[in-house]
Amino acid sequence: MSNKVKKRLIIILLSALVLIIATLLITMNLRDNIIYFYSPTELQLTNIDKKNIIRVGGLVKEDSYKYDDKTKIYSFIITDRSNEVDVSFVGIMPNLFAENKGVVVEGLAIDKASITAIKVLAKHDENYMPPEVIEALKKEGQWQEE
Amino acid sequence: MNLGNFGNILLLVCLSASLIQSLYLLPKKIDINYKIFSRIPFFFSLFAFILLIYIFVDSNFNYQLVVNNSHSEKPLIYKIAGAWGNHEGSLLLWILVLTIFNFIFSYSKIKNLDFKKNVISFQSFIIFGFTLFLFFTSNPFIQSESIVNEGLGLNPVLQDLLLAIHPPILYIGYVGYSLVLSFAVGGMLSNKVDKEWAGWLHPWVLTAWIFLTLGIGLGSFWAYYELGWGGYWFWDPVENASLMPWLAGTALFHCVIILEKKNILQSWTILLSILTFSLSLIGTFLVRSGILNSVHTFASDPTRGLFILIFLAIILVISFTLYAFKGPLLDNKSEINLVSKESSILANNWLLLSTLFVVFLGTLYPLGTDLFLQKSISVGPNYYILSLLPITVLLLFIMIIGPNAKWQNDKITEIIFSISKLFILSLAIIFGFSIYFIELQLTQITLLTLSLTLILVSIKNGLRIKNNYTIIKPSLGKSLAHIGFGLLILSVVANATFAQEKIFQAKVNDILILDNHKFKFKSVEQTKGKNYNSIKAIFYLMDNKTILETFKPEIRVYSNPPTVTSETSIVRKFLADIYVVMNIPENSDFVNVRIHIKPLMSFIWFSIILMTLGGVSAIVFRVRLKR
Repeated sequence: MSNKVKKRLIIILLSALVLIIATLLITMNLRDNIIYFYSPTELQLTNIDKKNIIRVGGLVKEDSYKYDDKTKIYSFIITDRSNEVDVSFVGIMPNLFAENKGVVVEGLAIDKASITAIKVLAKHDENYMPPEVIEALKKEGQWQEE
Repeated sequence: MNLGNFGNILLLVCLSASLIQSLYLLPKKIDINYKIFSRIPFFFSLFAFILLIYIFVDSNFNYQLVVNNSHSEKPLIYKIAGAWGNHEGSLLLWILVLTIFNFIFSYSKIKNLDFKKNVISFQSFIIFGFTLFLFFTSNPFIQSESIVNEGLGLNPVLQDLLLAIHPPILYIGYVGYSLVLSFAVGGMLSNKVDKEWAGWLHPWVLTAWIFLTLGIGLGSFWAYYELGWGGYWFWDPVENASLMPWLAGTALFHCVIILEKKNILQSWTILLSILTFSLSLIGTFLVRSGILNSVHTFASDPTRGLFILIFLAIILVISFTLYAFKGPLLDNKSEINLVSKESSILANNWLLLSTLFVVFLGTLYPLGTDLFLQKSISVGPNYYILSLLPITVLLLFIMIIGPNAKWQNDKITEIIFSISKLFILSLAIIFGFSIYFIELQLTQITLLTLSLTLILVSIKNGLRIKNNYTIIKPSLGKSLAHIGFGLLILSVVANATFAQEKIFQAKVNDILILDNHKFKFKSVEQTKGKNYNSIKAIFYLMDNKTILETFKPEIRVYSNPPTVTSETSIVRKFLADIYVVMNIPENSDFVNVRIHIKPLMSFIWFSIILMTLGGVSAIVFRVRLKR
């Protein structure tokens, strides 16, 4: 092998190595930062790691939205009409949050039926339903096309 | 004749003219007068677009699109903007921009006629595809099914001036890359991919880049003041969809520069051209198909997504087949030295593409799991931040070294020597800051020092001091854009490091304290707006007894349709924004207030303006030099 070819071969091998390591690091990083979404029913059926942030979505149950003046904690219940999850949250509730409307919360699960929310996500549009919520309701046979 | 039929005829003429023009691409080269057939679609899509605006302004509820997206009480400006604020109208706008590019290009003074006709014809083929899509799946001129007297669309969140001008600007960016793809296809067909080709392409690549940069910036600015979360970039799929073609396009125009100067990297440039427009199409597909869960909502329909996917597949098959045959023949045999301007631009290419890979994976991985595993997931922002951190450090490093290297060959020691003073100065400034004000971590010191060095080095490169006169170099554009990028990283890091946020539950006369700022909750005002009721909370930023600033965060309650929106109140200062949002929980006697201190926010917007100006001055200087 001539010197030039050797040099090239080394460069190619080195860059391949760098590429593989970079891809591995990126994909591992991706795996660590995935946030899973659960409907209340799915949450019942899964073993939750309490250290991982998850999302739970469904409808806000009627008459479940409360505020505690002393602890400053908001609480409400997310339902998919088969199972329910209790949510507690400290912060500012979004304007579009309302009972009987779709909601997605992000936070840490306490157990299979309750979660401490870090974020409450309600979206722009008054008719908008987060797609995950529609899916969750469809799975439980509770979705009605308007 | 009714207006809808008239509109349909306009579209059909546009459709058939562009089809006829694209016949030139066939092996037989059916040659007709390109001047006529490349310009007809422009005039007819322009008429169709004006017609659409007219029926919106006229609140003509015979048309389904107007019923769904307009309302007779809307202010005039939003009636006009409503014409492209929906899927059908925005697609017509997309077509109009496609034809504008073809129209202007048809006047270019390129002597190689076969090449010029190939470019025009492929662009016409793209126009044909999109007009077909518009006509059959998203026709804006469909009559309403029943007699309607009033429209539905009065969504107040979408009545925003910035939101009205944002899509056209973003579209000029996206669509600009269609002409770049046509250049690639035309170049391969006419065996004309060389220095001269790169010279012709250069202003078009830059034009698309300028508009895309500006469009992304405006979108981010809108999200900042309208969404009320205090953030300006959420790594949201819709945002990523516009960032991906930007990254590929940035890599592309750096390659075009090398090609024009050194006549190398032909096939790589072609590949990047294909990639960039494909990403623009994927971006459109992601946004319009509705398979994404985004903070930005859009009208969506799966068949539309499918059409864009099929069209993307056709374009990819055509370009890659051509590339498979022609690609290997394009390249000039040449060696690139490790230390040279070329190699640094190539390294920058790889870093930009790595960034693209990270963003692509993060955006599409959730789609994959959703489609194949029926599992909904989302990717947290930490993924992007951690993955992009090392890439950004390398990118900054190469941006400091690269522009100081000579073409072909240079000595690394000389380059390092030439920048060492500015590097040491930056390091000293950042260290001094860390010691006297707030202790910084290693990653923050690294990023801040490198971005400050980049700013200083780029300023130095843009100016030449000669006999006490400061002369602006023709490479001013490059310097401005690089200063902009350095400033962007600097202010983003500073913003993330020093931002403060606190939530208060406040009653009137309460004093709220955040950091060394003291806010007084003065009063609540209720007023009636044009079509909403407004509740404003008045806060004073106090300095002992004097009032420094007044904040009026607002809640608007619209009745038709019933919607509540929060309007943020932002005071922009040189070094930091103070950002106040509030809302009122049901049945409560207090308001919820969130106050953010956002350092260097104005610098983030300014850095984007600098990058855009850099692009503009690169084009202007080029035109001047040619004369």
